[in-house]
Amino acid sequence: MTVDRGRPDDAGAPSEQGEVVELPSATRAVDIALDELELVYAFIYARVGNRADAEDLTQQVALKAFPRLRQGAPPSAIRGYLFATARSVLGAFWSMRLGLSQAELHEDLALAVPPGPPSDESTERAQRILAALSDNYRRVLELRFLHGYSLKEVAAEMRSTVGAVKVMQLRALRAAAKVDPDA
Amino acid sequence: MREKPENRLARIVDDLLRGRRLRLRAGDAEEKDAIIAAARLAAARQGPQRMSPAFRRRLAQILESTPQESWLTRRAALVAGLGVAAGALAGGVVGRTLSESGALAPQTALPPVLPVNGTWTDVGALADFAEGQGRLVKAGAVGAFVFRRDGSVTAVTSMCSHLPCELWWDKGGAVLACPCHPVSFDSEGKPSSQAYALPALNEVKARVTAEGRVEVLGT
Repeated sequence: MTVDRGRPDDAGAPSEQGEVVELPSATRAVDIALDELELVYAFIYARVGNRADAEDLTQQVALKAFPRLRQGAPPSAIRGYLFATARSVLGAFWSMRLGLSQAELHEDLALAVPPGPPSDESTERAQRILAALSDNYRRVLELRFLHGYSLKEVAAEMRSTVGAVKVMQLRALRAAAKVDPDA
Repeated sequence: MREKPENRLARIVDDLLRGRRLRLRAGDAEEKDAIIAAARLAAARQGPQRMSPAFRRRLAQILESTPQESWLTRRAALVAGLGVAAGALAGGVVGRTLSESGALAPQTALPPVLPVNGTWTDVGALADFAEGQGRLVKAGAVGAFVFRRDGSVTAVTSMCSHLPCELWWDKGGAVLACPCHPVSFDSEGKPSSQAYALPALNEVKARVTAEGRVEVLGT
């Protein structure tokens, strides 16, 4: 399929003179939407960390946005609209799950629209976050999240107790939340 | 006894590392930043993700049966683009813009459920309904949440207006919450999240008899 992915900065200001994708049939419209929704899925998965929630939220984005996309819309406008919808859906998801208003949430939803297929961006961000932590905090998060160790295994590896590892994991995640990986 | 924060986080991290859904409870909001960081680290462990073929097929089927009922106007596209900077506000702003063009579903109360040959069904004594609290009742095939206000009652359907799931009364948030996706409705059936535009819930007819009994119009 040849779809002009557009530049990420296109999304904020779709031009009336922008390239128009001709959509000769409804099936073609679905194909193009699905290709764009792949990016939305990766974007959402990178923020919720599990497949079931990512699938539900991607489906919500599709159901909300698809009826309002017109055949012949510039791809950059389609992507911009899908990602604006994804941010709204993600905001509502965290707000509902945590019982907070979206104003209280302060979730970083204002990220640029990805320019292309899923990349290692989230892995690289995670590595930058881990690198900014103290040795103990980095170690406990690496063992848990990158190597999949259980709390008991981490405790054995770090010559500590499960209770102490739980506390360290909490403090490490609090510290990780404060790291700006783009700094 | 109140669960310690390190135990709450350990439970959430365990779920994430096992690929389970995020199941959050009251009190977890205190650690929202740590939870969001945990979700992102869990995602990073898996690397970039693509939709499974089964989910992609399911999504294709859903989209193929979804009519493209309105057009993305240039203005709506511009507003959607501004959502990049506006974050969570984007949904609300887009919703309002589309509303001006008549594309947004109505958010005011929808028409009442009036079953053909409907019958009034006794669902309990007024005294059994707590003031302002939603209570799920069944009147034959009609499910409804009944709300008592002083000596009178109102009711809305128990089914979400978007996905066909039965709502539940979230006492803490004083909202009707959908278990299938993150939306909720107030006691009048209006969607409470401005960021997630949905139709309101249908009203269900309810009344209080002279004997102090609550009746709902059902089947």
